[in-house]
Amino acid sequence: MSVLSVQQISKNYGAVKALNNVSFEVPQGSVYGILGPNGSGKTTLLGIVMDVLKASGGEFRWNGQPGDADQRKKIGTLLETPNFYSYLSAEKNLEIAACIKERGLDDIDRVLQMVNLHQRRTSKFNTYSLGMKQRLAIASALLGDPDILVFDEPTNGLDPAGIAEIRELIIELNRQGKTIIMASHILDEVERVCTHVTIIQKGVLKTSGTVQEVLSASGETDVLVEIAADDATGLETIIRQFPGVKDVKVFGHVLSVLCTENVSAGQINKYCFEKGVVLTQLNMKKKNLETRFLEITGKQSDR
Amino acid sequence: MLKLFKIEWLKINTYRTFWVLFGTFVVFFPLTVFFSASKYMEQTSGARGSGPNPEDLAKALIGAPFVFPKIWQTSAWFGGHFFVIIGMLFVMLITNEVQYRTHRQNIIDGWSRLDFLRAKASVMFFFVIAATLLVFITGIITGLAFSAPGADLFEDVHYVAYFALMAFHYLLIGFFIAILVKRTGLAVIIYFISVYVIDGLLWLLLTIRGNQMGYFLPFETVDALIPSPFTPEMMKLRTVADYSLLISTAVYVSLFTYLIVNRFKNADLKT
Repeated sequence: MSVLSVQQISKNYGAVKALNNVSFEVPQGSVYGILGPNGSGKTTLLGIVMDVLKASGGEFRWNGQPGDADQRKKIGTLLETPNFYSYLSAEKNLEIAACIKERGLDDIDRVLQMVNLHQRRTSKFNTYSLGMKQRLAIASALLGDPDILVFDEPTNGLDPAGIAEIRELIIELNRQGKTIIMASHILDEVERVCTHVTIIQKGVLKTSGTVQEVLSASGETDVLVEIAADDATGLETIIRQFPGVKDVKVFGHVLSVLCTENVSAGQINKYCFEKGVVLTQLNMKKKNLETRFLEITGKQSDR
Repeated sequence: MLKLFKIEWLKINTYRTFWVLFGTFVVFFPLTVFFSASKYMEQTSGARGSGPNPEDLAKALIGAPFVFPKIWQTSAWFGGHFFVIIGMLFVMLITNEVQYRTHRQNIIDGWSRLDFLRAKASVMFFFVIAATLLVFITGIITGLAFSAPGADLFEDVHYVAYFALMAFHYLLIGFFIAILVKRTGLAVIIYFISVYVIDGLLWLLLTIRGNQMGYFLPFETVDALIPSPFTPEMMKLRTVADYSLLISTAVYVSLFTYLIVNRFKNADLKT
């Protein structure tokens, strides 16, 4: 059974369709990425399944049941920005969350330690930096060790070390069997962390499935090869003549070559050698989510 | 309800504005009544010259507002005026949640929309009970201090119950305004305007030539239950009976409760 099943959810703000008939299923044990540009409807979607926004149409089910308050008590959620009582300490804020969730207060120390806020637990929320606020929100989501976690832009406002920590945490939580639903506009993050992905653009679901499925579903199965040689200009001239090459882009001394599926690294190496060029680098790359994402959503920044 | 109130108490027990405003009510209301009483009693029982002096006249017209049984009405009336502070505090407690989006967080964490409203209602009951107790205590202490021995203590004590109803009603309207307006500053201003300006002006308009319509305005309908203890009997305009005011209050209470629940249950919770 799906942990979350979204069926034809729509949300209209007047004439604006923030979400238009969005449907997808989140399988148990997955890290489910909801990927989309800013303003694509990711937060609106999560707001609806957490009952802070009302859908204009469609329905959603958590573990097969229509969503209600008792189910939300068992889901750890970080939605949009961290929302806490500014005049209360981290500890007191988590006490309120724990009371609402009907979880024991003894879990507060554990979650504060998990996000490295234990030393600052008695400081007021309004003295926290953006990154600390974000970590407190993650701590709050972890209260009571829920089996389902919903993270909206979890690495927002964190420094590089913090980002790495949170990504590791998500992977670790998933390893423990938890299902994680994560909205993000950061492709790299989704690619590294998620098992499944849904791409939303302007409120419309473009594609969804496992990350592998989404990557290979483009119909064309091009491969990307990165090559380099001492004579970069010479290399570019000869590689353009190689059968199967569709496009060559130059990134400094490295050439990024888009080839059809049947091209192998060996063939390229052999061909270049025969033409008198010795490759100093040869790197077969799968097409990444970024290429795929741009294919799906177009390249305009106003997408 | 008690469980919900415990959570609300966690939110407010270290909130300074709560203590400042609640403290203002708890300190200044009883002191005002007591000192007014002592000043009044001093003047009316003070130096008696020959012939009718103004204080005696006042006493004859107004009666004895600070002794039993009228002290109950006086205490409730003063309490009502000071209670607007609590009304403002209550509006702020709700709009703050909206402004800091903590109401969203409460729902996300596992409250239903109704739980949130019930939690706020529990705070409302807390304020009503605390203020009513204070009105009672202020009444009994002032009454005992200034009444002649042997007075009937609890005659007219129903004014304390009227006060409870009035306090509840003031908070309910504040609740409604807070849910509707959402912005703290604006909501407080609108609350004050409705309490003092709109109700007052409309009342003047609707009571011209003894017309009684004005007594059925949202605030006035409970205000009128506790008339000013300083208005001489002969100047009273109200002819509608207390029970019609109670009925109209009940109608307003049902209406505002319905509007609050209906609005909050179906709203998108944003700032």
